[in-house]
Amino acid sequence: MKIWRKVLTLVLAATMTFLLVACGSKGATEETKGGTTPSATKAPQKQDITLSFMAGQDWIQDAEIELGKKFTEETGIKIDYQIVPSDQYTSLIMTKINTGECTDLFGGQSGKFDIVTQYNIEKNAVDLSGESWAKDVDPLVAAELSVNGKLYGQPMQDVSNVWAVAYNKKIFAELGLSIPKNYAEFKQICDKILAAKKTPIYECVSDGWHHVLWLPEAAVQAEVATPGLFDKLNSNSTTLAQDPTMKLILSQVKEDVDAGYWGDDYMSNTYADSAKNIASGKYVMTLANQGFGAEVNKVDPKFSADDIGYFVIPLADNQTLNVNPSGPSRFIFSGSKNAEAAKKYLAFMASADSLKYMTEKVSKFNKLPYTNAPSKYTDTIKDFYSRYPNQKTVLQTSVKYVNPQWMDIGKNMSALLLGEMKPDEVLAAIDKTRNEQAKAAKDSAWSK
Amino acid sequence: MNKKKVYPIYFVFGALLLYIVLFVIPSLIGIAYSFTDWSSYSDKLNFVGLDNFKLVFSSDENYMAIIKNTLKFTFITTILKNVLGLVLALLLTKSIKFLNFHRGIMFMPSILSTLIIGMIFKSILDPSGGLLNTFLHSVGLGFLAGKWLVSSELAFGSVMAVDIWRGTGYIMTILIAGILSISTTYYEAASIDGANAYQKFRYITFPLLLPTLATTTVLNIIYGLKVFDMIYALTNGGPGKTTTEVLYTAVFKKFATGQYAVGTALSTVMFLFMVVIGVFMIKIMTKDEVVE
Repeated sequence: MKIWRKVLTLVLAATMTFLLVACGSKGATEETKGGTTPSATKAPQKQDITLSFMAGQDWIQDAEIELGKKFTEETGIKIDYQIVPSDQYTSLIMTKINTGECTDLFGGQSGKFDIVTQYNIEKNAVDLSGESWAKDVDPLVAAELSVNGKLYGQPMQDVSNVWAVAYNKKIFAELGLSIPKNYAEFKQICDKILAAKKTPIYECVSDGWHHVLWLPEAAVQAEVATPGLFDKLNSNSTTLAQDPTMKLILSQVKEDVDAGYWGDDYMSNTYADSAKNIASGKYVMTLANQGFGAEVNKVDPKFSADDIGYFVIPLADNQTLNVNPSGPSRFIFSGSKNAEAAKKYLAFMASADSLKYMTEKVSKFNKLPYTNAPSKYTDTIKDFYSRYPNQKTVLQTSVKYVNPQWMDIGKNMSALLLGEMKPDEVLAAIDKTRNEQAKAAKDSAWSK
Repeated sequence: MNKKKVYPIYFVFGALLLYIVLFVIPSLIGIAYSFTDWSSYSDKLNFVGLDNFKLVFSSDENYMAIIKNTLKFTFITTILKNVLGLVLALLLTKSIKFLNFHRGIMFMPSILSTLIIGMIFKSILDPSGGLLNTFLHSVGLGFLAGKWLVSSELAFGSVMAVDIWRGTGYIMTILIAGILSISTTYYEAASIDGANAYQKFRYITFPLLLPTLATTTVLNIIYGLKVFDMIYALTNGGPGKTTTEVLYTAVFKKFATGQYAVGTALSTVMFLFMVVIGVFMIKIMTKDEVVE
């Protein structure tokens, strides 16, 4: 009996030791598996690797997933797309990056200031300057993805688009409405639409990011009204709360909501339903970019893409085109064991064939920011761009520490809509977070 | 076998070592970090004393509202889950048809993933096209339809309601086990003495169930203080600034923005809450414990 007990104890102890050793050495074996050892490079062309790619909702298009399948067929490298709801994405990806457990590829907003302060991109992403496609990226867009002359990301969306008010041309014609040239005219339009028992604006606060656009996109008017404002904000010599135009924009947003221009369901509406709701005729306008016409056409073929027109956000009487060379981009996580495979994926996505496929299949893409990408601008879109000769780059790209707090601004703005905060409190909150981030980043303009 | 044999102390060393390495040391390191300026922006670590705690308790910040929300969530869900769980446990220990089927149905929500429940309820509680409001409108109760998850008045209540729905079955199951372990002889004796159903509950079931209730209460309180996934999936702390923000969602967001030190300070505050409440609860609930 005793001897059996001893044997059993020994077996159990051995099993336990084996398990502990196995757990401890797991990382090491994986590392050698994924690394580019000489034998790995000599391996047959098809590789048994699965790349993980995390991005926010609406960033990875169905067409990209289709291309991903083609990529797998060609190379054997599988792509595991992890798509996260927009309102949760920023916190999730930042936690993953900060804890060093990020996916091989991750989606992030470009912006020459923010990729440094928010993503610490030099440390957390792989340098892509030497890639074959790097020279094809539009220089303005590449500048937003570069630090010290090195390119760290690959643009994944059309950034020639601007966020503007997209409107249903048919309803505008029926009600005898024309494009507003100032805020007063915009209000008159909204009142007439309300009188016709339709909701003027489709807005979707539940996504957490879309309703934010009204402020930083229309903020180009603040720069027009106070030239040099953006530079002063970057040099920490003024604050957003001190600027009367910024306050006016927020007050007018609140005024529009209170007047019922956003309807009843703006808090729970979703961005994914925008095209459907505009196509239904229940809503007449929404903030969208210039691929929106094609999206509405996709939902309802009776609608032609040209039935949707565009005008700039007329808050604070803005008439300046709000351009933005930054947008969602792909990055390779520096801690990825599959960086070489990920580079292959990026090269595949930037090939002329893939760019053509993406432009054809994704209705909202008109021209991807690559020299070898095709263009499909319609007359309506050309007309829209030519209507506004003055252009300014939007607040979140021109001013530091705005983009990283986008979702927080969203929370504060929804608090404004619910009546929990006032416009100057929202602006003060943005200033406060800017200060915190600047100090944490040891920004010289803040240490004076 | 000698049942009274006292095992030597070194038998505990293995488990103790693992526990210390995996739980105690990380917890202590976490607490230590809350006194520094640890962030993702800088590799240098400086001792900042109680600065992070001053920030957590300062009136300019929302952390007090977040702590209040967490305590409110814990208090209300604990009471309601226990009460509803007890009622269901009493009903489902009677001889009724399809007993196990009913128990299974009630227990079902507990085995579903919280994130999936969150997503389903987000759709059910959608004010314009959600199942609940559509149903209310279709039966002529349209005036009861509300903006469940997106208005500052209803959001917190809605989140708690979903959580109570999810957690009651689990509590019920523990309480059923507790009730079934009470010897039937007490009830037989009480029946002979002419006790009615209420008296049996008041003087037999309830006192003998107290240790089980103490367990479920402690479980609920710990769950409530640590709640994250349900809030994250349903409202992510919104609508507005802090309507449904709780400690763990706030800690998560601090880590996301790279403000690790403030995050660990918040975790430390939460840890203290849990220790104090936990010890207090166990003392109170086991004071008058009836031993069978």
